[in-house]
Amino acid sequence: MRRQKSLSEIGRFMAPVSLLLDGAWQRMHWWVATMAVLYALSGITIVRSDEVAVILRWGQLVGETPALQQHGPGLLFAFPRPVDEILRVQVKRISEVPVTTLAAATSTMESGPVPQAPGEDDDEGPSGIRETLDPLTRGYALTGDENIVHVEMVARYRVRDPAEWAFYGPKAEDVLRAEVTAAMVRSLGEMGVDRVLSDGRKDLIATAARRAQAGLDTAHSGLELSSLELTRLSPPVALAADFDAVQSAFITAETSKKDAEAYAASAIPNVQAEADTLLQAARGTASNDLATAQGDAAAFQALDREYRANPVVVRERLYRDAVDRALSSASQIRWVPPPIGGSYHGMRITVGPSDTGTEPLGEGGSGGR
Amino acid sequence: MVDAMKTQRWLRAIVGTLALGAIVFSATAVVVKEGQAVLITRFGRPLRAATQAGLHWKLPWPIDAETSLDMRRRVYETGQTEMLTRDKKNIIARTFVVWRIGDPLTFTQAIGNQSAAEGKLDGLMTNAAIGTLGGHDLSALVSTNPSDLQVDQIESELLASTAPMALRNYGVMVEQIRLERLALPEENVTAVFGQMRAERRQFAAKFDAEGLREASRIRSEADLEAARIRAKGAEEQARIVGESAAQVAKIYADAHRIDPDLYRFTRSLDSLDKLVTGSTSLILRTDSEPFSLLQSKEGK
Repeated sequence: MRRQKSLSEIGRFMAPVSLLLDGAWQRMHWWVATMAVLYALSGITIVRSDEVAVILRWGQLVGETPALQQHGPGLLFAFPRPVDEILRVQVKRISEVPVTTLAAATSTMESGPVPQAPGEDDDEGPSGIRETLDPLTRGYALTGDENIVHVEMVARYRVRDPAEWAFYGPKAEDVLRAEVTAAMVRSLGEMGVDRVLSDGRKDLIATAARRAQAGLDTAHSGLELSSLELTRLSPPVALAADFDAVQSAFITAETSKKDAEAYAASAIPNVQAEADTLLQAARGTASNDLATAQGDAAAFQALDREYRANPVVVRERLYRDAVDRALSSASQIRWVPPPIGGSYHGMRITVGPSDTGTEPLGEGGSGGR
Repeated sequence: MVDAMKTQRWLRAIVGTLALGAIVFSATAVVVKEGQAVLITRFGRPLRAATQAGLHWKLPWPIDAETSLDMRRRVYETGQTEMLTRDKKNIIARTFVVWRIGDPLTFTQAIGNQSAAEGKLDGLMTNAAIGTLGGHDLSALVSTNPSDLQVDQIESELLASTAPMALRNYGVMVEQIRLERLALPEENVTAVFGQMRAERRQFAAKFDAEGLREASRIRSEADLEAARIRAKGAEEQARIVGESAAQVAKIYADAHRIDPDLYRFTRSLDSLDKLVTGSTSLILRTDSEPFSLLQSKEGK
């Protein structure tokens, strides 16, 4: 009885509501049906070309393995909220984090430049730069040989595992900064400062990046360190001049070595060429001499054949030719009479340069006598 | 008309059921998202923690209540603490911890929120770091000799000495500890600068000396080589000249051997040619040839 009455009471109470619903349905049932269909389809999502989407069904990831969890670009069918929730992540976008934890001025990390107490300036170096570093305000790292260097880096990363990054990993920038710093501190700690500042830089970056990635994996960050760049790697300001001096000494040494090598490179071929020229000349002379000798020998043999046939004539001819040659090539010829009694007594002959050759002959002769 | 009445009745039933269902569902269902945990309390007393993502159930309010906890990993960097290594060197170290809530129940009861957890972690980590680094030399942290370095070991020691306690006492799961910073106390840096400067000067001097030495070595080697080449050339030249002289001598000897008398005669005539040149003055007796021929003609 009582129940019947309460029902009818509810009915009476609900009457205006049901009247409203009925009226609404009659007027707008197409609208309502359309809305219901649209709601049912609202889970369908478009995944863009640079994105990967994961589906949460009642909050739980759909799919057992990361490969099954991740849906590539295209249409993705899912139930409407609150059953399914779709998370789209841009996995191809590379983001950048500057890492200045080890930089000389770490104003971004700490509470900005700390005002110095007036009495704190007493250990200034010769250049007016403070000869120390406050570890709380100045970032730096120790190298393997206990030198101090400042490092500024830029880490670039992208999301590799969207589910891990979105739901389980630490905040990307926090974990990156910490892992990269730790990896760099450790990698610097096993190298000498000279390697770090010269040819070891690539090694340093590679080692640090590898360590940082291992750390990111251990931290389940879902991130991939796509590149690590050293934007600055320098010794402390107070020591910059000393480091530069080593550098310039090195360059000077290299230059003088290069000069010496250039000297050697030009001196040896020059000497070689000189020697070659001399040898060539000697060979030429030798073959010349040989040819002359052979010619002379042939001429002599020919002469000899003639001589054997007519010894007296040939001899006479040769002798006459020689005397003619001698008489014609001599610049002065003086004739003197034969000695009287086998000797000349006090005869003087003056012989001068060729222009005096025209002197009268008698002068000498008269002087002689 | 009857059809319309029927449709309306059905519609009312469906709408009513759906509405009721939705109300019941929202009162009893607990949706645990990935990366979250939900702590369910009954009359304020913690009942259980739903850590698995998905749909869970509870009794409706006011019997059960739910609190959700963020189970994501977090990075906490400790403060910079000065400590002493085994070889009595002062260093300033800072570590960072990757942690997450490991046991929601213990975490909620013992700590409650993130900043309190980090406060506890800081204390734990500082103690552990002082203890662990006190057992190693500085060369275990920085050294150019790879066999000295023990950073991996130090980090796992730190983890071993903090993780079990953090989980048991605070419900905090420490997953990774790494040394993030290694520095020297301000007053020690001056000494390090001094050492660095001395080392730099030594290097500069070394480079200077080495450069000079190397350059003079290269130069003198080149000079030596040049002298060697010259000597070799001279030797070769002498050989060629000698051989040629010998050959020439042999040719003349072979030729003259056939008539030494004629040779002697022609040689004398050649000598005469050489003797009488443009600057020679000849003094001849008038009774010698060819003048004598003229005389004898005159005399006839």
